Amino acid sequence: MVGGMNHVIEAIGLSQVFRQRQGLFASARQVMAVDDLSFRVAEGSALGIVGESGCGKSTLARMLLGLLPASAGTLRIGGADLRGMDRRARARLIQPVFQDPMSSLNPRRRIGATIALPLRVQGTGRAECRRAVARMLEEVGLAPEIAARFPNQLSGGQRQRVAIARALIVNPRILICDEPTSALDVSVQAQILNLLMDLRARFKLTLVFISHNLAVVEHIADEVAVMYLGRFVEHSANAEIFAAPRHPYTRALLASVLTPEPGLGLPEMPLGEGSPDPTNIPPGCRFHPRCPLATELCRNQAPPRGAVECHFAASGAGA
Amino acid sequence: MNAVLEIEDLRIGFGPLEAVRGIDLVVERGQTHCLVGESGCGKSVSALSVLRLLPKRARFSAARLAFEGNDIAGLGERGMARLRGDRMAMIFQEPMTSLNPAYTIGSQMIEVLRRHRGASRAAAVDRCIAMLERVGVTAPAMRLGQFPHQLSGGLRQRVMIATALLCEPALLIADEPTTALDVTVQAQFLRLLADIQRQMGLAVLLITHDLGVVARVADRVSVMYAGRIVEHGATGAVFAAPRHPYTRGLLASIPVPGKIPPGGRLGSIPGIVPRIGAGFAGCAFRARCAVAMPACAAPVPEHRLADGHRFACHLGPDGAWSGA
Repeated sequence: MVGGMNHVIEAIGLSQVFRQRQGLFASARQVMAVDDLSFRVAEGSALGIVGESGCGKSTLARMLLGLLPASAGTLRIGGADLRGMDRRARARLIQPVFQDPMSSLNPRRRIGATIALPLRVQGTGRAECRRAVARMLEEVGLAPEIAARFPNQLSGGQRQRVAIARALIVNPRILICDEPTSALDVSVQAQILNLLMDLRARFKLTLVFISHNLAVVEHIADEVAVMYLGRFVEHSANAEIFAAPRHPYTRALLASVLTPEPGLGLPEMPLGEGSPDPTNIPPGCRFHPRCPLATELCRNQAPPRGAVECHFAASGAGA
Repeated sequence: MNAVLEIEDLRIGFGPLEAVRGIDLVVERGQTHCLVGESGCGKSVSALSVLRLLPKRARFSAARLAFEGNDIAGLGERGMARLRGDRMAMIFQEPMTSLNPAYTIGSQMIEVLRRHRGASRAAAVDRCIAMLERVGVTAPAMRLGQFPHQLSGGLRQRVMIATALLCEPALLIADEPTTALDVTVQAQFLRLLADIQRQMGLAVLLITHDLGVVARVADRVSVMYAGRIVEHGATGAVFAAPRHPYTRGLLASIPVPGKIPPGGRLGSIPGIVPRIGAGFAGCAFRARCAVAMPACAAPVPEHRLADGHRFACHLGPDGAWSGA
């Protein structure tokens, strides 16, 4: 994170609180999905966000896209505050690719019209749109005749290519990918990852890549943020985090990646039982109920803020 | 012979379509056999056919289908119903769809014992609690009174495996049991499965698309493509020296931290996973294969190597045209 670099995403104290009622007469509970996050993403870089279900990573994606106004904090995209930004201006800056292209593509609209829609919204004429669609289809490796088809006539990988073409047609600066390959077969996942890396270079994109799959994130990201119950518990350069993970949760996540190496057997998982519950964030360090290193200090006091949010980050205990 | 399940020339079709085109498979006691492949390759219907849970319209035939040495291909529905949930059990990817949301965990578990063992209610409750405890469910007595939606995904998966193991089956078929779980929970669950397998001498047929899971838990692996097993062998041998171009392609397409440099290109298999068809002539993989030749349209020969390692390809073990 070199100073003077142009940061296209700047989050300062970003929070998202949902209110959830368990029953008709029960009082509402607060769900802290994203908790006072501050981070920056340099232009042209790729930030990978990993975490398990319920950690807030998809909520954060929706906030970055401007689909969900923040409960607190500021989010600057391309130097301008996202709050109050015109929808069309926002769409030119930042575009999404979601997990399941079947539910993010309109089943009754032809592929050509789907890809063209972001341009039409910007007021581009039909002839220009047709040319742009043909160009984008080629960019994502699809045949021109696909434009006349409907989503159900395509395979999962082809649909994801369509979603990518639709996102890139307005030439955005930032692409937010939320589990873009999780629904795909492995051989197709590799095609889509290769395509994303090619397009990232060609379109000079800034990527935010959200996934539960650490191996995929390691492959594509320059920086990695490990998210747990609404906070980045560790955030550093890709090489650092994978070579020397410092947070016990990062270490557990890394240990649980089952690489295709026979003979290694299954990893020991020193994590306690019980899944993280965003409606009931533990006091002190939010990871302490599952942490093998937890002490009295961890149960009572939140760890200092920083790149590694652990009381023992500096001493490297248990590493 | 320690084979719990023996399958020879299993074929499954739907109307004119052939989903499974003659597979052979053996699962031995205490062993985990992984059936791996991408969507639509026929791995799940193959598993369902062992339990005879195929839809009525499916065509099904096998030269041999033996369970614990007895032929079950000709067994009627009543005979199969006695085996299912007793000597052979199955767990699925999403426990929410196989647990009935309207009944408590207890009533669903107890039913298994009352039906197969004729156990008294009190005895059944005790056994359920013991089994839940064994699979690491905390507060097991309380869980019996809970409904599936009140449990986390990891807990539901444990309840499902506890239910499957109640009658101490000889064979457990697990269809993508960890695909819906978080990675840390997946690792915990697979360890649990391995522990139980060791204690009970269980034969496990594990269906998955995840080569990482295969590498870490399988004794033997069968790679399936378009309704056929294209390569089979001991896991170590197949991963160390994959012979079929599809197996090689699959292994090259997964990112492995520390192995493939970040940003480097992943090996990928061009084209798309084929839908089940009305019969493939010759090698079904040839449209996506980097080393395909015109001759691949001819029927595919099978090559046998040491220790049961076999693969079906026109290129022989030495990589040369086998001239079949």
